[in-house]
Amino acid sequence: MVSFESLAQSVIAGREAQVKEQVQEMINAGADPLDVINQGLIAGMNIVGPRFKAGDMFVPEVLMSAKAMSAGIALVKPLMTDKELPSMGTIVLGTVKGDLHDIGKNLVGMLLESGGFRVVNLGIDIAPEAFVLAVKEYKADIVAMSALLTTTMLGMKDTIELIKEEGLNVKCIIGGAPVSKDYADKIGADGFAPDAASAVDLCKQLLSA
Amino acid sequence: MRFDYYSEEQLLKVHEASLDLLKKVGISTSSERFRALLLDNGCIEKSKRILFTQDVIDKGLKTVPAVFKLCGRNDLHQLEIGQKKAYCQTLVGAPSVIDLESGERRDALVKDLEDTTRLADALDNIDIISPLFPRDVPQEIILTIETATCLRSTSKPLSICVESSRELKFIKELLIATAGSEQALREKPIATLPVSPVSPLEYGFGPAEALLDIVEAGLPLGIEPCPQMGATGPMSMNGLVAMHNAEILAGVIAAQLYKPGCPLTMSSRATFMDMRTGLALWAMPEMGLMSAGLNQLGRYYNIPVAPGGYCGSSKIADAQSGYEHLYNALMEALAGSDIIGSAGSLDNALVECYTMLVMDDEISSVVKRTIREFDVNDDNLAVNVIAEIIEKNDNFLGHKHTRKYMRSGELWIPPLSKRQTFEQWAAQGQKIEDMAKDKAKNLLAVHQPAPLGEEVEKEFTTIIAAAKKALM
Repeated sequence: MVSFESLAQSVIAGREAQVKEQVQEMINAGADPLDVINQGLIAGMNIVGPRFKAGDMFVPEVLMSAKAMSAGIALVKPLMTDKELPSMGTIVLGTVKGDLHDIGKNLVGMLLESGGFRVVNLGIDIAPEAFVLAVKEYKADIVAMSALLTTTMLGMKDTIELIKEEGLNVKCIIGGAPVSKDYADKIGADGFAPDAASAVDLCKQLLSA
Repeated sequence: MRFDYYSEEQLLKVHEASLDLLKKVGISTSSERFRALLLDNGCIEKSKRILFTQDVIDKGLKTVPAVFKLCGRNDLHQLEIGQKKAYCQTLVGAPSVIDLESGERRDALVKDLEDTTRLADALDNIDIISPLFPRDVPQEIILTIETATCLRSTSKPLSICVESSRELKFIKELLIATAGSEQALREKPIATLPVSPVSPLEYGFGPAEALLDIVEAGLPLGIEPCPQMGATGPMSMNGLVAMHNAEILAGVIAAQLYKPGCPLTMSSRATFMDMRTGLALWAMPEMGLMSAGLNQLGRYYNIPVAPGGYCGSSKIADAQSGYEHLYNALMEALAGSDIIGSAGSLDNALVECYTMLVMDDEISSVVKRTIREFDVNDDNLAVNVIAEIIEKNDNFLGHKHTRKYMRSGELWIPPLSKRQTFEQWAAQGQKIEDMAKDKAKNLLAVHQPAPLGEEVEKEFTTIIAAAKKALM
């Protein structure tokens, strides 16, 4: 059987086809699905994260690694019906109402997934009501909102207010080019991240508290 | 002085790639009005994308005015957009400022909007004023308040970027009240209104509707998408230029089909993603290089261009911001720019800075000096003068040729930087950003813009009240 170390290397290299092949081989050989995930797939991502932070890996390379990991998980997932898949928590992600900008939020989503979170990406132009519905449906731990326009930032405040009104037990975090820590404090958000990588740290921090 | 980024052959290749994109990939839009306009004029719909034909492209590009006027609210400021004069425009939309006293970044307030506008009004080399986005005004009517505040604080032309048609009615009413009548506003437009569709090649409902309504109102339009290399556009610079050009041309064509001959600018914002962090950079050299290419395409189409250029990634007014802004702005001016935006910006056009605005005034001054047209003639070649001086074993100080040229603009006079002896400098030991900060403070202490007049102020009060009632 191929080694977990080799599988981790394939994740780091972002080789999706190779990851699938190796995971299938492991499944056929009767490896424990949880070991495949923890010692192979996530072990690989645990190298990718620090390398990205150090500036040694670039965003598109991290994306390839995350895709490779997800492809591997998709193969072992059906074998784990009884056991819970390891997850750091569930995050509902979206760009707020009136704002059509996609890319920053997607980048955050990708890094969160590669950091072990389950991410529900709602898309763009998401009304407060839609955020609330998704929090209920997916039992989210964190709502992450994005805005690029100074004029749509208000949607974050409206969403947080509605979430509080509904009495939902969920953390709210915000990000996007015009957003600041001051603004986050002002509208009662639980956190703010100045870039995609620190959004992952922020979520880990919020859920470990 | 003129710089070509592309050879003639290369330029045509990029142009053809843009047309290819318009014909094969086309655009998407969620505005029924925008869609119907394009389809009625011969565009083809194919799996939810609107594809352009050569006929539609030719028809749309035929009627674009090569030159149009942009005016101040008094006769002091008359700009000729299309003559490649590199007019300097301030940054739009910053939610934060660098505080002039503390040097700290903080939320932008309406007082900052008044003060940055008044400062730009006082600076001779800033030509067009675009508002920052104050946080302490009702955000539902933010553009209405910005327009009113800018009109009060400067007599220079404005550029008001709109994301949708939501406040357009009130913006237009304020402009009409200032100009005197709708007719007067059409004859002497006192503002351009850019819209920013989302890259790649997407005209969402808000920007698409706003584009049509601005054209309808007879105001000069800016088409200003903002792609990022590697994220919302290709990682290759030529690919980004070709795609950006195509998405801007789509707006140009739509505007012309809607109202042939309507004035507009191709307002490129060619940025790139920092692949180490995912941040959007408005930095050098890539932005200056791509903008130069896009400007050259504008020249080829004979359509005015208005890229962002007084920008970079530095977080404070310092040596880095100085060379970043000079690089991008000069590259763009040399390739032929009508307007160069983002003056006074820091941190990838996210922060407005008083000190940087004063430094950009100086940079704008030297950029304009650089592209000034000149003659080469016997008088300025001065062969006879040289011969005469040498023959007399004299020097040039006493010659009337020297007196004639020294005050004719031959020498650039820096509005800010000083070039005295070391000893004179050492007496104060100031860096350029210290001098810029002092100049900003001094100008803000004394400069008063030309007042609007009581009648206009009364109309403003009524219009703002109406906006509140309608939108809040």
